[in-house]
Amino acid sequence: MNALIISALLGVVMMFSSFLLKDRSTVRSMAIAGLLLLLVVNVLEMNGVEFFNINTRDMIVFDRFALLFNTIAFLSTLLYLLLSAKEMAKVGVYFADYLALIFFILCGVILVSSFKSLLILFLGIEIISIPLYILTGSDKRNLKSNEAALKYFLLGTFSTGLMLMGIALIYGAQGSFYSVDISKIAGETPSALLIAGMLLLFFSMSFKVSAAPFHFWTPDVYDGAPTVFTSFMATIVKAAVFVAFIRLFDEAFGLLHLQWQLLVAVITALTLFIGNITAVFQQSVKRMLAYSSIAQAGFMMLSLYAMNADAKEGLMLYVAAYSFATIGIFAVLIKMSDYTFEGFNGFAKHQPLLAATTTIFLLSLAGIPLTAGFLSKFYMLKAALGTGKHLWLVIVAVLMAAVSVYYYFRVIQAMYFKEGEGQPMEVSKPFKWTLVVLAALIILLGIFPNILLSWLYF
Amino acid sequence: MIYFLQTNINTTDASSYLPVALQVAFAVGLVIFLTVVTHLLGPKRKTSDKLQNFASGIESHGDARQPMAIKYFLTAILFVLFDVEVIFFYPYAVNFKGLGWDGFWAVLMFVGFFLCGFTYILKKGALKWED
Repeated sequence: MNALIISALLGVVMMFSSFLLKDRSTVRSMAIAGLLLLLVVNVLEMNGVEFFNINTRDMIVFDRFALLFNTIAFLSTLLYLLLSAKEMAKVGVYFADYLALIFFILCGVILVSSFKSLLILFLGIEIISIPLYILTGSDKRNLKSNEAALKYFLLGTFSTGLMLMGIALIYGAQGSFYSVDISKIAGETPSALLIAGMLLLFFSMSFKVSAAPFHFWTPDVYDGAPTVFTSFMATIVKAAVFVAFIRLFDEAFGLLHLQWQLLVAVITALTLFIGNITAVFQQSVKRMLAYSSIAQAGFMMLSLYAMNADAKEGLMLYVAAYSFATIGIFAVLIKMSDYTFEGFNGFAKHQPLLAATTTIFLLSLAGIPLTAGFLSKFYMLKAALGTGKHLWLVIVAVLMAAVSVYYYFRVIQAMYFKEGEGQPMEVSKPFKWTLVVLAALIILLGIFPNILLSWLYF
Repeated sequence: MIYFLQTNINTTDASSYLPVALQVAFAVGLVIFLTVVTHLLGPKRKTSDKLQNFASGIESHGDARQPMAIKYFLTAILFVLFDVEVIFFYPYAVNFKGLGWDGFWAVLMFVGFFLCGFTYILKKGALKWED
């Protein structure tokens, strides 16, 4: 509750600072200080210090799972702002407004990670989506950005409509919005209304996390949006929707697990296959990362498929590993003028430190041991094996992880083994240090994952 | 998927909507029926005046698809915002006594946030008419 209220207020403060403060660097430091504050109050709440006591009638409950995820999300956003806030100013003139929108999105992130009622889920998804439509189209003079925003808006609202329809059907079947009441199934078989509602919710959530048959918007939107905001969309927002997905299907439809397990398995396999195979053929690193985010979503879907204790731990680790690595790569990519693979030629010679950290991020995304990416993939596969069924899914996942190595290593190969004149880049000292911290975090999580996971229990 | 086939008619879910379905079918059917019947039975005497678009009796000229200043659109959108704000007051007014002071503070907070937004758009120059 601490973080929810403070992030909403910070959003309003940032809104006002857009016309009260003329200096951009002050606005930037304010946003970073605000995020630090959010992080601190959230960690305080994990230790039992609550500033606000508001009766939400149990529609929002901050359990350890939610609080830990919020901490990861705030930490990622903090690192993201430290690395890329300056680049936001280059997108358009409304620097403080963009930051305000990011704080509002964080409100939505907090809501979807802690909902106990479908109403809150819907509110949270909307609070996340609407600012994202604006951010996607924030590069107003760029036609691709406009196209991306329009596509995202039309498809996003359509899938939100599906979600509302699903919620309405579920309310019709069970007479309540609370996940606890929905999970109570009268009689032997659930009613057709409940199943129809569950399927609609499943499809709309799959759309939001860009799982396979619903992924078509992702490459265009991620490619068209300004790169700074793609970075935010592909990491923190996607992770939050995943947490909501898991929470919804665990708490509301947990008893029906055996019924929807096969459906999830098929969608997971499809997502892994399409994401990885299409990523192989990309020429632009930005578009490759868009497809890689679909592929990584496939791996995160494994936790939905398995839905056991391992899956939840694994998801937390996956979210952290994926967010940190992707934010790092995007931060480097934003600084470049050429987004193709050729643009990375000879990068190691001109920017040795940046190339080294980017290599660590890529290794983590590919799942090479000693990085957080390896252990998170390991947890996911372990969870999927733990169900004792559908062994083919695990085999597909491992094969696809092997395919992903190809396109991640193409960037590393271009950086280290190809000649190129390099691109002019302005790289500041703090930027370099933040990248090093990010890389260190990834390796630390790869060796001691319990630093993060023990927070789930103690 | 099998559940769709196993629906029990005697439960409370689908069958109780039968009157609604009937009414919808009747409404749609009536519209289709009347449209078809007018086309079949009505006399057709076309004159150039009759075929023109009806614009409140005034002769129409030019195309409606002309670029329009964004200001009109902006003003209309802002009007919708205030309209929606007023909609929220109706349920509050009905439950004014029942909600007590808690409700009062909640509504006050709502209006406070709304005023924040209003100052924001004013300061951003959304209502500035001259450039």
